[in-house]
Amino acid sequence: MKKTVNLTINGRSVTAEVEPRTHLADFLRDDQRLTGTHLGCEHGVCGACTVIMDGEPVRSCINFAVACDGTDVRTIEDFDDDELMAHLRQAFTEEHGLQCGYCTPGMLIMARDIIARLPDADESRIRLELSGNLCRCTGYVGIVRAIRRVLAERKEVASV
Amino acid sequence: MSTKGIGARLTRKEDGRYMRGRGNFVGDMAMSGLKEVAFLRSPVAHAKIEGIEIPDAIRARVFHNADMKGVRPMRPAASLPGFKQSDFPALAADKVRYVGEMIAACVADTRAEAEDLVEQIIVDFDELPVLANIVDAQKPGATLIHEEWGDNVFVVTSRDDDIDAVAKTAPVKVTRTYDMARQTMNPMEGAGCLAYWDERMGQLVLYSSTQAPHLIRTGLAEHLELEQRQVRVIAPDVGGGFGYKCIMQPEELAVAWLAIKLGHPVRWVQDRREHLVACANSRQHHYQVTAYADEKGRILATDVEVTVDVGAYSVWPFTAVLEASMAGGNLAGPYGLEVCRYKTFSVATNKPPFIPYRGVARAGVCFATELTVDAIAREIGREPHEVRFENLVTPDMMPYTNILNKHLDSGDYPECLRRAVDGIGLEAVRERQAKGEEDGRMVGVGIGMFTEQTAHGTSVFSGFGIPLIPGFEQAKCRVTPDGGLEIYIGVHSHGQGMETTMAQVANEILGIDPDLITVVHGDTGSSPYSTGSYASRAAVMAGGAISRTCKVLAERLGIIGAHLLQCGHHEVEVRDGKVVGPRGEVSIADVAKIWYLNPDQLPDDADPGGLEATGGYKPKVDTGSFTYSAHAAVVAVDVEIGAVELLDYVVVEDCGTMINPLVVEGQTFGGTAQGIGTGLYEESPYDDNGQPLASTFMDYIMPGATEVPDIRMVHMETPSPYTDHGIKGAGETAAIAPAAAIANAVNDALRGLGAEINETPMSPRRVLAALAGARKAAE
Ligand code: FES
Ligand code: FES
Repeated sequence: MKKTVNLTINGRSVTAEVEPRTHLADFLRDDQRLTGTHLGCEHGVCGACTVIMDGEPVRSCINFAVACDGTDVRTIEDFDDDELMAHLRQAFTEEHGLQCGYCTPGMLIMARDIIARLPDADESRIRLELSGNLCRCTGYVGIVRAIRRVLAERKEVASV
Repeated sequence: MSTKGIGARLTRKEDGRYMRGRGNFVGDMAMSGLKEVAFLRSPVAHAKIEGIEIPDAIRARVFHNADMKGVRPMRPAASLPGFKQSDFPALAADKVRYVGEMIAACVADTRAEAEDLVEQIIVDFDELPVLANIVDAQKPGATLIHEEWGDNVFVVTSRDDDIDAVAKTAPVKVTRTYDMARQTMNPMEGAGCLAYWDERMGQLVLYSSTQAPHLIRTGLAEHLELEQRQVRVIAPDVGGGFGYKCIMQPEELAVAWLAIKLGHPVRWVQDRREHLVACANSRQHHYQVTAYADEKGRILATDVEVTVDVGAYSVWPFTAVLEASMAGGNLAGPYGLEVCRYKTFSVATNKPPFIPYRGVARAGVCFATELTVDAIAREIGREPHEVRFENLVTPDMMPYTNILNKHLDSGDYPECLRRAVDGIGLEAVRERQAKGEEDGRMVGVGIGMFTEQTAHGTSVFSGFGIPLIPGFEQAKCRVTPDGGLEIYIGVHSHGQGMETTMAQVANEILGIDPDLITVVHGDTGSSPYSTGSYASRAAVMAGGAISRTCKVLAERLGIIGAHLLQCGHHEVEVRDGKVVGPRGEVSIADVAKIWYLNPDQLPDDADPGGLEATGGYKPKVDTGSFTYSAHAAVVAVDVEIGAVELLDYVVVEDCGTMINPLVVEGQTFGGTAQGIGTGLYEESPYDDNGQPLASTFMDYIMPGATEVPDIRMVHMETPSPYTDHGIKGAGETAAIAPAAAIANAVNDALRGLGAEINETPMSPRRVLAALAGARKAAE
């Protein structure tokens, strides 16, 4: 039996009928055609499906869409005009923080959250914060370097 | 030289779409009428199928082997003497041979609904004894996985050498047993494919997350009994492959058949559980090594037995033979070994089939040989790197053909080792060890070296006699009417950044800005044939083909340009996107405009082939260009709980001329991380019933950001004498040595306790077992 759910997705208010067993990631990908949210495990370990819900990163594969009634969800597609994300993307490309690109949307959403939340994070804190996001291609070297770089550059700007 | 050509640290052209979430993977595609497929997979490891019961209400949406008339089982041949072929049907016929083997395909509007159908099927199994390991499978009288074989061995390869003379006189003898755990490859995007029948073209179209679209096309046509022109395979964005996606998947065959049968598009997207349980198995090697050496550690002879647990079937086209026979052939590594005897066994078990994984066979070989070198060093009381210096092939010997017929083309192996020893700060580590750690942990340092045969071609693969042997590589290049360039290649990028690196090669020749170059790859409908991206061959082969083809275009551009510049065509040169003559220059864009839109201005001697050409290439010597490397690791071992922490990691690598150092580093970091997984974390264990015990990422431990250190890389760059631009392959290399380097470091740390670990992954349980074993031996 489908259920009605109301939520905000990328600033748009959405009302939809969904199966109770449909998780948020499938709902975003299949119903809303927001395919930037990827699925790497569907059991809450890899972080490929990370989205922002009410300001915090969550795994969309272990949240049922019907349980997201009233929430505000942002996917990778919503960050095209985000200044911090633009900075991060620049750093990701310069530090070679992605190869196949499959983990990348989840990584970027998590990385942006780390930068916004922990402006003083050092390398080991960054790594700890990233421990819920798996990447099979990069060995994390470029990803961690990109985040460190953005943190350092923002500090520089702030201190000027 | 161009600042964006070969050697430039260019950021990648493909990054933008991925970072904005606009990649296009198989699971992202939408198509009207598309239905999803779920497979019923065997819950038992070995059984006869006595019957399949499908409720009438869903019969039209469920398909099993008997429905797939005319579809051939995969039965790849190999020419190695005594090789036994196996029938591997897309959907099991009368027997299942591993947990996860596909029995039926269910089609519904959504994957969830297709899985609902799967649940309604009842299979009547007559269970057979299970062979869950190589020991049981080789016992006399063991149950037979393929009845007609008479035993459970796919093939035995061997090399005989008179070892007895050495054995009698050698002052040092070291004997060890090594074991690598079974692993799965785990690209973050699993496999997946979408197929439909295109009525207008009379063609099956299959989109697949594959490394080798042309190879899949050939495979599908042969197995579905279609003509090759009736099949088109397109690889869209591919989220990692690492070898798993270079074979024809049984799922591809099933989905392709379903599309033809049903007349509407169908798709299957692998979930992680399917990947971990039923697919992408690799790495499980068992070695018995005896090495003979002199007092300085110079190895006089090795005597090795390799057994690979290759699972139930041969995969198409690479079969089950590649792994063990390559293991045998690579036993000399970077060393000037003079006497070597080996025997390899490819043993069938009730597990998913073995598939070539990044650094095919070499990770096991490197583990066995490099741990043996360190065991010799401990035996004679020398530093392991000093023993390596005694044995390495030196630059003055290059090119050097070793006893196992590997033609090492170029490089300075001792210098590579020196840089690794310096890079890791060996002396400082020794001082630190002498002082001891405040937290009581034991610190150790270890090195792993290897050579990796890259872009090995016809002569190597024809020796295996498998269905598909790589030959010449081709590229099609087209200057567009506005002076841009389109490059069509048959290899496919699954993370390597070929949209950038291949554009750099073209830029090197024509000077066209990489921003104005599009690399079209992964579509059999538009690109020249290629066996695909594997064997670290794409940069060498497609890079060479693009270079050759762009030279043809440069020649043709020059003729037209010279005419416009009113000079002789031998007076002009194509560079920086222009045809440059003695008294002036004209842009490629202007020349292109004339060729396409104003042919009235063309010279009489313009080449009618125009500004589009297909060129082919093969290196001067097709036995491969050898990349080589030394990995050095420092670890801290907690002897109370068995935990191993990586404190430092250095890679020194020489992959010839680098097209793009940024990309080479990325490949190296990523490969190293996978090797760290092999060494410390990843394992697909099976119980005695052949049941897989790691079916989620909770029990299959993938290295995360907290497990992989900030790897440091040192480049060396010795161009290959045999390839255009001196390029060697770099994709697979770094995954080879980490397990060996880390094990040597752990054993260095535990040396004082008399403990030694010779298996992967070096999990806390295994480290503690090694320590307990040493204590027991001491008692
Ligand atoms: S797909 Fe959600 S955590 Fe892996
Ligand atoms: S870039 Fe491929 S998984 Fe991270």
